[in-house]
Amino acid sequence: MAQLPTAPGGYFGRALVVDAGTGAASTLPLSDAVLRGYIGGAGLGAWLMHRLGPPGVDPLAPEAPLAFVFSPLVGTPLTTSAKFAVVAKSPLTGMLTDALASSQFAIAGKLTGHDAIVLRGACERPSVALVDGADVSFIDAAALAGQSAAEAERRLRDSLGRSWRVAAIGPAGERGVRYATISHDGRHAGRGGLGAVLGAKRIKAIAVRAATKVGSADPQAVLAAARDLRARSFGPATAKYRELGTLANLLAFNAISTLPTRNFQAATFAGAPRLAAEDLARLRSVTRNSCASCTIGCEHIYSARGGKKMRVEYENVFALGPMCEVSDPDAVLAASALCDELGLDTISAGGTIAWAMECVERGLIDAPWLRFGDARALLRALEEIGARHGLGALLGEGSRRAAEQVGGGSAAFAPHVKGLEMPGYEPRTMQAMALGLAVNSRGADHNRSGAYEADLSGDIDRLAGGHAHVAAAVETEDRAAIMDSLILCKFLRGVFTEPFDEWAALLAAVTGWDVDGAELRRTARRIVLAKRVYNIREGWQPRDDWLPERLLSEPLRIGSGRIAELTPARLRAMISGYYAVRGLDDQGRPGETDLTDLRLRY
Amino acid sequence: MGTPKAALEWHGSTLLRRTTGILARVTDGPVVVVRAADQELPALPAQVEVIEDPREGLGPLQGLAAGLAAVADRAEVAFVCSTDMPFLHPAFVRRVLRAVTGDGENAVAGGDAGGRGDASSRGDAGSPADPGYAVRVDVGLPLARGFPQPLAAAYRASLAPLAERLVAEQRLRPAFLFDECVVARLDEAALRSDPVLAALDPELDSVLNINEPADYSRARERPAPEITIQRFGTLAGGRRGPEVIRAATVARAAEAAGIALDGHVVAALNGDQITRDGQTPLAAGDTVFFIAADAGG
Repeated sequence: MAQLPTAPGGYFGRALVVDAGTGAASTLPLSDAVLRGYIGGAGLGAWLMHRLGPPGVDPLAPEAPLAFVFSPLVGTPLTTSAKFAVVAKSPLTGMLTDALASSQFAIAGKLTGHDAIVLRGACERPSVALVDGADVSFIDAAALAGQSAAEAERRLRDSLGRSWRVAAIGPAGERGVRYATISHDGRHAGRGGLGAVLGAKRIKAIAVRAATKVGSADPQAVLAAARDLRARSFGPATAKYRELGTLANLLAFNAISTLPTRNFQAATFAGAPRLAAEDLARLRSVTRNSCASCTIGCEHIYSARGGKKMRVEYENVFALGPMCEVSDPDAVLAASALCDELGLDTISAGGTIAWAMECVERGLIDAPWLRFGDARALLRALEEIGARHGLGALLGEGSRRAAEQVGGGSAAFAPHVKGLEMPGYEPRTMQAMALGLAVNSRGADHNRSGAYEADLSGDIDRLAGGHAHVAAAVETEDRAAIMDSLILCKFLRGVFTEPFDEWAALLAAVTGWDVDGAELRRTARRIVLAKRVYNIREGWQPRDDWLPERLLSEPLRIGSGRIAELTPARLRAMISGYYAVRGLDDQGRPGETDLTDLRLRY
Repeated sequence: MGTPKAALEWHGSTLLRRTTGILARVTDGPVVVVRAADQELPALPAQVEVIEDPREGLGPLQGLAAGLAAVADRAEVAFVCSTDMPFLHPAFVRRVLRAVTGDGENAVAGGDAGGRGDASSRGDAGSPADPGYAVRVDVGLPLARGFPQPLAAAYRASLAPLAERLVAEQRLRPAFLFDECVVARLDEAALRSDPVLAALDPELDSVLNINEPADYSRARERPAPEITIQRFGTLAGGRRGPEVIRAATVARAAEAAGIALDGHVVAALNGDQITRDGQTPLAAGDTVFFIAADAGG
């Protein structure tokens, strides 16, 4: 499966489409216009979902496609480029979701000779999909049932051979938890329930093996760029990630009242110091690790009591600690490890449990054991979610669906946007981020909207959302669209001074295209709109671009004494501003010119 | 002075930059500088508006009229001060503004005025003992360090036409304005009734200004205000936890903390506003958090 003669550098010019029901595989040609228009990763994944996803499909139905999408930079020596996107219609949101992850799976998957591997249909029994170059087969996965993703991966590589790379789901994915993950090499395609989609196809794992090579248009230029980027990756822009990891956010966010606590009832947490990276690093042994092809090395792996080791990120700790008011570091580490074993998105798990704790407190759920601050309750809730028994049957649906079932006004404090639970950025004290969370196609997500950068920049008043916040939300969303499509790790973003121009130079060196920064800005907008148009096709309504009622009706008093208030009128004004800047109508829908530019007419 | 007062050096900044920075910290409305035509000013943040006084040489009432007119459509109340008040404290500004904006403060302020029997002719503030005592105060006028302080006072922006009329009538002293509106006079006890102000500026140094070179020298010899810093994440190194230092600006605080305030570091003032501007003024009691600007992930 060598590169097609007509394919640009860095591409094979085709996707592999596998029918899990029949075992048949076919190739879908990817034209130069499509590749240049969507690049790869999350962008190309959006196009593939338009192309291959039946309108209105149930995300857990056999015919719903799930795509592993690679990018032109995968396989180059560029730091952080060994990433891929998993893209599907989310069972949690009913809209498009894409989750990125890093590992050798990206390289092996792409070097099967495809720019994407798409799975459709469903196996008759639990299976493992094997993609060996152009050859596709399935093997029985009965022996792997109930295993964690890590254990399944280990067993498969033991039996298949070390040249295989494996992405797998845990028990939560097998049981259809709507925020189950897909994991590989300890990394997770975490958000949106992609593990449940794979589980619904009765596919425990997909194993890939490299069969070919891929070339760049200008290898010398790519090598020079890789050396330069590597040097820059050791600089101050990545120091935080290298030295303490993302958990360094915790105390800083607590100090500036941006740490969501007790299901967004507060923005500071008295127990934060116990969970801080600074203390954990002192009290526990920590080792650092890097993703494949990465020179930053952001992974901080902590040892918990009993010797178990786990990767700890800010989002894990925020969701399983302050959100649930749990301050025992061992409990939070154990909960984080349990999420990994079960294959659960920690943000959605923590957010849903925090919502349930508040429901118990208000007498809306009869589970007196589930209390804020109770570490054992947190662990029990996770176990029940992973098993989908007891309260887990309800909580495995995510906070939006659970609130619809419970009623009693609980939707007002269900911490989600479009069904996706909120990350650890308090919207009332980060009002550019508030807009980013409200309008993003994936739902409440900090990786598709980096508008918090503006809130933390000092250039705007983070408590008074307005025009500047709109501009920041658009800009950071565009940057994320390109980084998620090239794909480069966002932890690298601070090393670029003229990002679109610099990214265009990288893409040009790999592909041979005469692409420039202005074109990439247009591409970013196209990708953002393609996701929005997909959602519109699947039933999105303007009311979906909104925030939970609590955030718009309960002001916060921050440390300085100032009141942080985000009113519905202010959010509405920012959303209207966002629509205007994006060229959408006042209902958030694009016009005919933009639809034509999306290159969706096949 | 040899140097225009606005441009006098102040701990690596200027007096005008400091004054506008203190006001920007306290208010959420515009900060306006009224200058004489062709008057050169030191560098100011982009958010600070500069307007020209259309009529020079007519004293503070003319400047007041021009400034109030500039904000009249955007603010109800303005704090008006001169540029040469290096010890102006945010708590002082808040206390004086409250005398006009209310929040239960009018009764106290008006009571002081009534007790002295010098409530204005148009707006007798009445007596706090009167049932239903309430008044719409137009001016919050501090009486501190032995003098009324019309250039460290709060004014309703709607007074702009009155001030302009008085200027046109050549009645150029602020006292003429006070004769025609409701003035809440805040003596030192009233000012110190604010516990924050009493703690952080007990001598009411906020109203000290600089008129002579010797004033400037004495002021400059004073130690910088006492503040607390805290470093977070990788910036902390081995120096975690709060630390008390003296610094008059964020840049000086960063220096004391051993931190370069570059593109990768921001400062959060009192857990509230975030800045990269090293000239952001600090006042006694402030807390500055230094955090990584790359705070996502």
